[in-house]
Amino acid sequence: MKTDLKTNLKSIWARAYVRIVGANREPSWILSETVLPLLNTAAFVYVYKALNAPEEYIGFVILGGAMTAYWMNVLWSMASQFYWEKEMGNLELYLIAPISRMSILLGMAIGGIFYATLRALVVFIFGSLLFQVNFIISGVWELFLIFILTMIALYGMGMFFASMFMLWGREAWHTSNLFQEPIYLLGGFFFPVKTLGYTVAMFASAIPISLGLDGMRQLSFKAGKTLGFLDVKIEILLLLGLSIFYIWISHYALLFMENLGKKQGRLTLKWQ
Amino acid sequence: MNQNFSAHTKTLKLASWLGWKMESNWADWWIFAVYSVVRPLASSMILVVMYWVIAKSGNNPAMAGYNLTFMYLGNAFFMFVGNVLYGVAWTIHEDREHYQMLKYIFISPAKMYFYLFGRGTAKLFITVFAVIATIAFGMLVLKIQIDLATVNYPMLVLVTGIGLLGIAALGVILAAVSMVTAHHSFYLTEGVAGLFFLVSGAIFPIEVLPGWLQKISLINPLTYWIELARRYITGERMCQVLSGISNWELFFILTLSTLILVYLSVIIYRFFEHVAVQRGLIDRLTNF
Amino acid sequence: MAYPKSHGFLTDKKMNYAIETLKLNRTFKIKKAKDKPAPSFITALEEVNLTLNKGELFGLLGPNGAGKTTLIKILCTLLLPTSGTALVDGIDVVKNPALVRRRINMVSGGEHSGYGILNVRENLWMFSQFYGVPKKIAYERIDTLLKLFGLEEFARTRIGKLSTGMRQKMNVIRGFVSDPEILFFDEPTLGLDVQIAREVRKYILNWVKNNSKKTVLLTTHYMAEADELCDRIAIIDHGKVIACDTPSNLKRLLRKETIVHIEINLTDENFEHFSRLPGVKTFALEHKHNIGRTELKFILENDSAISQVTQALSSNGSKIISLSKTDPSLEDVFVALVGRSLESEN
Repeated sequence: MKTDLKTNLKSIWARAYVRIVGANREPSWILSETVLPLLNTAAFVYVYKALNAPEEYIGFVILGGAMTAYWMNVLWSMASQFYWEKEMGNLELYLIAPISRMSILLGMAIGGIFYATLRALVVFIFGSLLFQVNFIISGVWELFLIFILTMIALYGMGMFFASMFMLWGREAWHTSNLFQEPIYLLGGFFFPVKTLGYTVAMFASAIPISLGLDGMRQLSFKAGKTLGFLDVKIEILLLLGLSIFYIWISHYALLFMENLGKKQGRLTLKWQ
Repeated sequence: MNQNFSAHTKTLKLASWLGWKMESNWADWWIFAVYSVVRPLASSMILVVMYWVIAKSGNNPAMAGYNLTFMYLGNAFFMFVGNVLYGVAWTIHEDREHYQMLKYIFISPAKMYFYLFGRGTAKLFITVFAVIATIAFGMLVLKIQIDLATVNYPMLVLVTGIGLLGIAALGVILAAVSMVTAHHSFYLTEGVAGLFFLVSGAIFPIEVLPGWLQKISLINPLTYWIELARRYITGERMCQVLSGISNWELFFILTLSTLILVYLSVIIYRFFEHVAVQRGLIDRLTNF
Repeated sequence: MAYPKSHGFLTDKKMNYAIETLKLNRTFKIKKAKDKPAPSFITALEEVNLTLNKGELFGLLGPNGAGKTTLIKILCTLLLPTSGTALVDGIDVVKNPALVRRRINMVSGGEHSGYGILNVRENLWMFSQFYGVPKKIAYERIDTLLKLFGLEEFARTRIGKLSTGMRQKMNVIRGFVSDPEILFFDEPTLGLDVQIAREVRKYILNWVKNNSKKTVLLTTHYMAEADELCDRIAIIDHGKVIACDTPSNLKRLLRKETIVHIEINLTDENFEHFSRLPGVKTFALEHKHNIGRTELKFILENDSAISQVTQALSSNGSKIISLSKTDPSLEDVFVALVGRSLESEN
């Protein structure tokens, strides 16, 4: 057990190393991961400005735009990465190594968090300054806790998606593509999720970022609580539950999909 | 000359066929149809919900003439920008890293420029379908006010064609940049589409932008393209800044700027291709 | 120590085998064609029974599509068998894949694995970490192996800039860095030039010789490679193991036979009827268009059948350019067992 943990920890670091070193050696990501995402977020800010929306909606968009960075990191830099690894011929080498698949995914995620956090910070800081957003934090520790739990649950969900890529190729790729916009909609990235109605919002709460954003908005803006969906404490508990659920289910999903892939002979099949 | 034209046409056709195969043969046709429609609809609904959230609270839109139709139609047409840009620019990454075939296409007599255009056409056709479905949904479900009898179809098709040519040229520029960058071309394409989302007056009137950004919007061909498309559909001049310019004047500006963009795309493409060949980047693998 | 079978371990006796397969089968379903009523199946492996002793360098020889890679994938836990059992170091690959993985590594020919953004040393270090190799030991092994393989000066070169041969050397080193008990080589010298292929073979041979408990399973369709390296060879064709023995014993199968190589002018003639000539056991043919010759290889019951063959060739109108009698090679064994040559199959 001790050896396993040590090996898995080494694997996490080794895989994260590739991403970290890659960022340093190929700096072409800087523009596309900083300035350009800010412009995309600004477009939604101007929609609200054109609609003469209350000020806090601008703040909602800035926060949502910042969290988009993590959602994109989860979907494209972690979940679908097995697809790329398969095409490159690395997946089979990972699969024959005595490590958990989750440690590889976690390594990818940790390596990618660097870009994602930079993107999120640029959108958040510059967006807040440019559009003069006023934050009124009503609970620093709660805010921090919500953010951490959202990240854990979100990355757990990403690992669950990654299991699809173990078996399928482009079907999984297109499925992720398909999920992207509906999750922006249901996640309430650019508006309070409460506006979707109670039933839809409850359903949307299965997406960690819905609850996470809602909670963060309630703790960061004066009008946040009025426009919030559930009480912050309930959202924290739900996020804790989602974290445990997604990590648990992703472990079994990865095993299941791997076995299915081995049975069907598709685990290392390229160009599906 | 005839031979060249024939060769380029063949390249375009072949690349279109290949692009279509890649886009469509991963699922049954009905799943593919659903996929092609659900995603654009979801992106439209984000804006629709944003509009309703504020409209329900009784706020008046800041700009005269700004309404759901303005936003919805602009967003529908803007789908072409994201998808065609992606379809063209992503080809470099996909063929180089995923299928590792870029070098073989590159050394063949086929012109890469036309190959890239061709690969973008599959996404184009899918987006046409998606745009029509989105507008239909808007009319039937969201009660967007469009009188089909008053739509100027010939001009709408012509203007859309010119706009798409410009977008494809932009895509080629991004593809050229992708030749010398690592696998970040996905984010680059997304980012550039985001930039145009901001400065093309697609989802909000450009009057709401600060002065310097408005100037950028006014040199962006897509601003004129989207406004023209809205005008030919609704018969109304929806963007206040451009309201003093007639349809023909807008058409002329769009055509001229598109031609300049196409010309620039050829020059920029040739430059980056040269750099890529010089540095031996055509067949490198950069995914990490 | 004995373990109950249900946990995927076997008894003491079987623990001596590095690899064991019992009635191993693997079929693949082909997608239903529009004009066919039901999906069809390809049998990649059929009733494969093999045992590899610890410390053995075992070869799996067969043409493309014989099932070599399929077998390796099953043993490496990348593929499940349709039926039968596969044990690696006494551990069932289906029931306990995690334990199997601690003991193995794999190197394939023509690999493009690794990350172009990292240099050689970094790539090798990264893969060593997946096996929990302590950093200091990993670098020691990497540096030693880089020196042995002549890649020392390329240690800090990004792998995207390496030639094919260097890249494959790096892949081979990757296999050794984790110091596995059992190493699978799937056509490791594929596409390599003679010199590099020789270096790789030499290293593999020495590794097994110097480490008595280490086992190598090598698949190849190069007869000479199998002959040179392997303690024992299994010949596999269309998913079935048709022979398994040491190279010399396999060649002894043809001891009584006469092996004759005949070169004639290039021809489109059909020679099928030659297999029915008295004294002809089997033959194979290869057209060499670049030099305008057709090469025929006959396995005859005895020397007296040679005249039958030459007479038949003359009556056919063929002009014999050269004729030679040789000692049986592995290829001759293959032809005798399978009824065609490896080159003509490929």
